[in-house]
Amino acid sequence: MFLTREDEAMLNGEYGQGPEIAMSILVKLGDMYGADRMLKIENVHIDGAAYGWINDAGLELVEKLSSSGARFRVPATLNPSSIDFDMWKELDIPSHVAKKQLRLAKALKEMGAIPTWTCAPYQYGADLRFGQNVAWGESNAVGFANTVVGARTERLGDLADVCTAVVGKYPNFGLYLDENRRGQILFESDKLKLDTFDSADYGVLGFFVGSVAQERVPVITGIPRNIATDQLKSFCAASAVGGSVALSHLCGVTPEAKTVAEACRGSKPEERITIEDNELEKTRQKLSTVSEEHPEVICLGCPHCSVQELVKLACIMRGKKVKRDVRLLVFTSRAAKTLADDMGAIEAIESTGGKVVADTCWNFVPLDAKTLMTDSVKMAWTSLSKFTNVALGSLERCAEAAVGARL
Amino acid sequence: MRNIVIRCVSVSKGVSEGKALVTNQPLCLYDSLDPKSGYIVNRRHELYGENVAGRILIFPYGIGSSTSAATILEASRCNKTPSAIINLKTEPILAVGAILAEKLYGKTIPIVHRPETNPAEIIKKHDLVRVDADAGLIELIGHSPDLRGR
Repeated sequence: MFLTREDEAMLNGEYGQGPEIAMSILVKLGDMYGADRMLKIENVHIDGAAYGWINDAGLELVEKLSSSGARFRVPATLNPSSIDFDMWKELDIPSHVAKKQLRLAKALKEMGAIPTWTCAPYQYGADLRFGQNVAWGESNAVGFANTVVGARTERLGDLADVCTAVVGKYPNFGLYLDENRRGQILFESDKLKLDTFDSADYGVLGFFVGSVAQERVPVITGIPRNIATDQLKSFCAASAVGGSVALSHLCGVTPEAKTVAEACRGSKPEERITIEDNELEKTRQKLSTVSEEHPEVICLGCPHCSVQELVKLACIMRGKKVKRDVRLLVFTSRAAKTLADDMGAIEAIESTGGKVVADTCWNFVPLDAKTLMTDSVKMAWTSLSKFTNVALGSLERCAEAAVGARL
Repeated sequence: MRNIVIRCVSVSKGVSEGKALVTNQPLCLYDSLDPKSGYIVNRRHELYGENVAGRILIFPYGIGSSTSAATILEASRCNKTPSAIINLKTEPILAVGAILAEKLYGKTIPIVHRPETNPAEIIKKHDLVRVDADAGLIELIGHSPDLRGR
């Protein structure tokens, strides 16, 4: 790999111990994947911001970088933390976890991190442009950056993201290169009634596409141009857990894919699939282990709810009461919570008995329940180590289940 | 009988020998592996209930979360990593985990990918396997006892 004088200097420790460690890790990664050089990147989204995800080993590295004097050379936003900084005690998060999370937050902020604490930084906090090279972790955010905005990012591994923020560069391979952004497998959605799809339906569609495409770049036709940002969020999150999808070309939506030909960069797709309704129904059944909806816990906000979603939920639930044997938890960013609070939406939701949690992820809140209901395909698929049964339903159906009535 | 040898491409160097643990199902280490115990805890995965520590772990490729890098690093801190990993295609997220484990704890996890034939079709659970990531070779040294008896 070609290294500039500055790269070499960092590698040799001339910029201090932090950049030396960070650069050596990234150069090694670049060598493994045949990168020709280190690419300047414009911002980073750090997935490894939760102690619960990076553990003691990760905390050790981040504190080492910070205490050695390393500072971020580019703007870096943060993924959810292990705690809601305001009410972790109320959520029964153990104090030893909170203590370590506070240490991690201190070290990250000392290096210059922007404390967004959200998995949907593209809605609040992060800066993205078409064609920009960025370096993001968190699979749903990576999918959104590539698919919706047309910024370019590989899927960064935890801690590689912190290292990247320290040196402001990432090895040039994978999705930074034109040839790897070529659409390979074509999905036609003509037979689906997409105009009736809600966010959860788009999650099911994303999961199906991901599970068929796996490592290939999918191209999907027929997605309405007026698809909501929250629906795109749901699609991207689900396609990343269904397969390894970090970029989908949604023709007419994805900036670099106005047509199939443009998405495939002149070549023909290797495979063509017409999506049938019954395929999506099968996918839905795979994701929902129970059809009966008597959940003990209902979680919304995976990825984090937007202001619009919070307001929508507030409108649906206004004046109702959450059933006594049900717990409703809504996860969002501090930024969205603050805005929605100013609109009265947080009070409206919490006066029903629901709770709006910021800064963190459902993963870190002790839930102690067997049956979950969620509108998130990502959560339905990844939470089965915590729950015996999972029901998937739209935000409206989740709200109905919470109050025990048709709304 | 000569040992079966499969040529492959090295991701992370080192040489290791151990009993195989094999799946054809893609694996997300973050939601499937408990790094402190080495057990696979995802009930949706066919390796559910198995322990990866000290095994030659064979799976096609990783999916999902960016966190898998930190999962491997924490498993390394807790001495619960596989002794080697064989993929059809190794994602950079896993490679980052291996690089960090070496950098922070001086522990090498040999990782190879792009094998000339799919090892999951040849190597079965408990088979004794040697991974030479320096030379880019996977070697089937011995069959598991339950197969030897047949």
